[in-house]
Amino acid sequence: MSFVTVNQLTRLFDLSEPWIVRTITGQKKRILTAVDCVNFQIEKGETYALVGESGSGKSTIAKMVAGLLMPTSGSVIIDNKNFNDANLEKASMNALRRKTQMVFQSPYASLNPRWKIGNIINEPIKAFGLIKDENDQHKRVIELLEQVGLSERDIKKYPHEFSGGQRQRISIARALASEPEIIICDEPTSALDVSVQAQVLNLLKDLQKNFSLTYLFISHDLAVISTMANNIGVLKEGVLVEQATPNDLFHKPQHDYTKMLLAAAPTLQNN
Amino acid sequence: MTIDRTMIEPLLEIKNLSVSLKKRDNISVAVDDLSLNLYPGEILGLVGESGAGKSMTGSAILGLIESPLYISAGTISLQGRSIIEAPENIRGSQISMIFQDPLVSLNPLKTIGEQLIKTIKTHFNISKAEALDRSKKLLSDVGIDPERIEAYPHTFSGGMRQRVVIALALAPEPSVIIADEPTTALDVSVQAQILNLLKQLCTERGTSIILITHDMGVISETTDRVAVLYSGRLVEIGKTSDVLQRPQHPYTAGLVASTPNIDPSSFDKKLFQIPGAMPDIDDVPDGCAFHPRCEHARDKCQKHRPPLFDARVSCWLSEKPGGTL
Amino acid sequence: MERFFRSDFFYHFRHAPVAIVSFVTIILIILAAIFANFIAPTNPFDPASLNLMNGFTPPLEANEFTGERFLLGTDDQGRDLFSTILYGLRISLFVGLMAVLLAMVMGVLLGLIAGFLGGWIDSVIMRFADIQMTFPSILVAMLIYGVARGILPPEVRYEMSIVVLIISIGLSEWVPFARTVRGSTLVEKEKEYVTAAKMIGLTRQQIMLRHILPNVLSPVLVIATITFALAIIAEATLSFLGVGVPSTKPSLGTLIRIGQDFLFSGEWWILLFPAVTLLALALSINLFGDWLRDILNPKLK
Repeated sequence: MSFVTVNQLTRLFDLSEPWIVRTITGQKKRILTAVDCVNFQIEKGETYALVGESGSGKSTIAKMVAGLLMPTSGSVIIDNKNFNDANLEKASMNALRRKTQMVFQSPYASLNPRWKIGNIINEPIKAFGLIKDENDQHKRVIELLEQVGLSERDIKKYPHEFSGGQRQRISIARALASEPEIIICDEPTSALDVSVQAQVLNLLKDLQKNFSLTYLFISHDLAVISTMANNIGVLKEGVLVEQATPNDLFHKPQHDYTKMLLAAAPTLQNN
Repeated sequence: MTIDRTMIEPLLEIKNLSVSLKKRDNISVAVDDLSLNLYPGEILGLVGESGAGKSMTGSAILGLIESPLYISAGTISLQGRSIIEAPENIRGSQISMIFQDPLVSLNPLKTIGEQLIKTIKTHFNISKAEALDRSKKLLSDVGIDPERIEAYPHTFSGGMRQRVVIALALAPEPSVIIADEPTTALDVSVQAQILNLLKQLCTERGTSIILITHDMGVISETTDRVAVLYSGRLVEIGKTSDVLQRPQHPYTAGLVASTPNIDPSSFDKKLFQIPGAMPDIDDVPDGCAFHPRCEHARDKCQKHRPPLFDARVSCWLSEKPGGTL
Repeated sequence: MERFFRSDFFYHFRHAPVAIVSFVTIILIILAAIFANFIAPTNPFDPASLNLMNGFTPPLEANEFTGERFLLGTDDQGRDLFSTILYGLRISLFVGLMAVLLAMVMGVLLGLIAGFLGGWIDSVIMRFADIQMTFPSILVAMLIYGVARGILPPEVRYEMSIVVLIISIGLSEWVPFARTVRGSTLVEKEKEYVTAAKMIGLTRQQIMLRHILPNVLSPVLVIATITFALAIIAEATLSFLGVGVPSTKPSLGTLIRIGQDFLFSGEWWILLFPAVTLLALALSINLFGDWLRDILNPKLK
C-alpha cells in the first residue's frame, strides 16, 4: 500500500442562496462539484504534484489531504489512517496531525505577526508535547532554524523583520517542528521572486532527501512542478484529466488540456 | 524586428531619473539615476524582483508619484516635451495604463459602453453616435462581442475584463501604453491570449508598450528589448534575445539560470540559486548594489558604482573589451 | 523603553502638536485627580469641614462673613469649588475608566466569538447589537440604571450607585467594540496562520485567544479612547439628570447640575468651572483618540 492513497475523492460546495431567498425568487439549488472522483497515490519519500488553473480544485484537494476539510465522499488514507474515520482514537488522530503538515502560499499571512519567530516554531513542539524541557525546546528551535538556513539570532525577531523568502523558510521550519512525514506545499513559491524561489525549491528538495519527506505539491506553474515532482496530476474543473511522470507528461502529453497548458506556459527557450 | 533603434528618435526619454522616499528624517532612493529610451512601435520590458523600482518607474512616467515619494532628479520627456512639469494633459491622451487588477481601472457601476464612450469623448470632439461606433470597433478588436457593450464589468471573467481594460487603454489612441503586470492575476492559458493580443494591437497601431513584469518567460515571449532593474538601478539593457541568451551582468545571468524551465534535462536537478536577497532601499550597499551576492565581486565593486558600459551593462567586469563573465 | 523612543509611533507623536497638547492635558487632569488630597485646600466630601457661611463666594473674592478666599469660589453649601472639581474628577474618571473596561471586555469577547464562530451565534449577537444601536446609548444606560435600582434592595442602593452607574454605561457602549472586533476577526480567521494553528490541532478557544485576539486589538485601543470620553460625558449626563452619583459626593455632572440652578441668579462660576473642566477633558481625549486612529491606520502611515 502506498504511503498516501486518495480514493474516489469528491467534494461538493453548496453555493445556493438561503432557503428563504430561493423560495421567494424561485431559484434552484446551486451545487458546485469542486473535486470529482479523484484518485492518486504517493509513495513514501516522493513528490506528487497537482497542477491546474484557478478553480481546478487543487487547493480543495490539499485541504482534504491536510484534514482541514471533510470530503463529501471518497477518502484520503495517510499511513493507513484517515482523518475522517469516526472510530479513530484521539491519540491516533494526534499522531496523524503530527505527521501531516502544510506550507502555505503567502509568506505574509502564514506567520502570526504578533508572535516571535522562536514561539512560532516552538508552538507545534509544545502542542504535540514532543519536548517537555524548555531548554531542550530552545535547542530544537535553533536546530530547526539552522536546517532552513536561518540562525539563532532570528529567534527573538518578529515576522515583519524578514523578507518574503526568509518568512517562507520560517514557515518550513515550523512545519518541520512536528517531525512530519508528509508536507502539503500549497503554491509555496508563487508569491516569491525568481531568485528566492530557486532557493526555497532547493531547500525543499534538500529537506526531502535528509528526512525522507513525502510532498504533495500544489502549483499552477508547470515549470516549477517539472523540477520538483516524481508524478504529476493535471486537474481541470475538479477532474484529474491526466497523470504521468514529468518526462512522459512533457514529451507525450495525452490530454488536450495538458497540451494547451504546455503550449501556453511562457518559457525562456522560444527566444 | 531588426531595425537599428539608435538611428531613430526616441518616443519617450527618461534621463537620470531618481525617485526618493522621505521617511522620518531619512531619505532613501527607490529609483536611482535611471536612463531609458522607448522607441516608436517597440515593446520594452522592465524586469526585476519586487522592490527593484520597476512599478515606481511606471508611476513616474504617469505622474502618479505621491508623497512621501518624490522625483528627486532627472527628466522624462515624450516626443521632446518634458512631462514632469505638465503631466496632466499629456498623460491622458498620450500615455495609457493597464494595471494588474482590471477592477482598478473599471467603474463597477457603469456599463463598459458608457466607460468607453466617455473616454473617447474626453479625447476626441466627436458625436455620441460616432463614439459608440468606435467603442464597438474597439471591443471587437480586443476580441469581445460588440453586442455586450451594455454589460457591466462584473459579468465578465478575469481575462475578458483585462480585454475591456485594454480597449479602454487604446481608446484615446495613445502613443505609449504602460502595462504593469497585466497578466499576473490571470491563468496561464488566458495570459498567453492577452499577451498576444497586446502584441498584435501594438504592431497594428504602432503603439509602444512598456511591459512591467517579474516573469522572465513573459519577457522572453513578448518584448523586443528588456531593461533589468536591481535596487532601483538599471543593471542591463538590450535586445531581449541578447540579454536572455548572453547575459553580461551576473545578476541577469543568475535570474535566467534560476528560472525553472520545462526542460526534461533539468528534471529532478537542483535549480541555480543566487544567494541572499535584494537589499531594502534604505540599506543599499556602496559601490555596485549587487556585489554582496555576486561571485565575481572585486574590491572595485565594493567601492565604486559601475557606469553603463557599451549602453548595455552596468558591471565592472565589462569595463574592458574582452572582460566577460 | 529605548525602542519606544526610536519607534515611528513616538516620532509621529513628537511631530504632532495637537497630540502633545491633548496628551499633556489628559495627563495633568489625571494626575490632579489622583493627587487631589494633596492639591486640594479642603476635603469637600467631609461634611464636618464645610461652613455654610462660605456659600456662594465668588472666585478670588473674600467672603463677606468669614473673609475666606477661594480660587474658583464656592457652591451653595460653601464647598471650595476647586477642591470639589478635583475630587469630582476622581469619580468621573473612575466611572469612565471602569465603564470602558467593562464595555471593552464584553465587546471584544462577543465580537471575537461572533466573528470566529459565525452561524446563528453570530446572528444572535449582532442582531442584539443592531437593536441596541437603534436607541441612544444614554437612553440604554438610563434603562439599565432604572432596572438595576429597582432590583437592588433600598439599603444598598446608596453605596451601589457608582457600581450601577459603571454597569449601565459599560453595557450601553459595548457595541462599537464588538462590531470592529468581529470585522477584523472575519479577516484574520481566513489567514493562513490560523490554518497553520488548526493543523497542529489547537482548539477553537486556543486559536481565538492566542492567535486572533492579539491581531484584532489595535483598533480597540482607538475605540477605547473615544469611548472613554463618551463614558465620562455619559456619567456627567446621568448625574446631571439626577440619576447618577449622590450630591454629597458630587462628580463633574452633579456639580454642573448644582451650578445650573444658580446660573440665572448670577452665581455663574458654579456651573462654568466644572463645565470647562469636563470640556477640556473630553475634548483632549477625543483629539488624542483621533490622532491615534490616524496613526494606527496603516493606510495613512
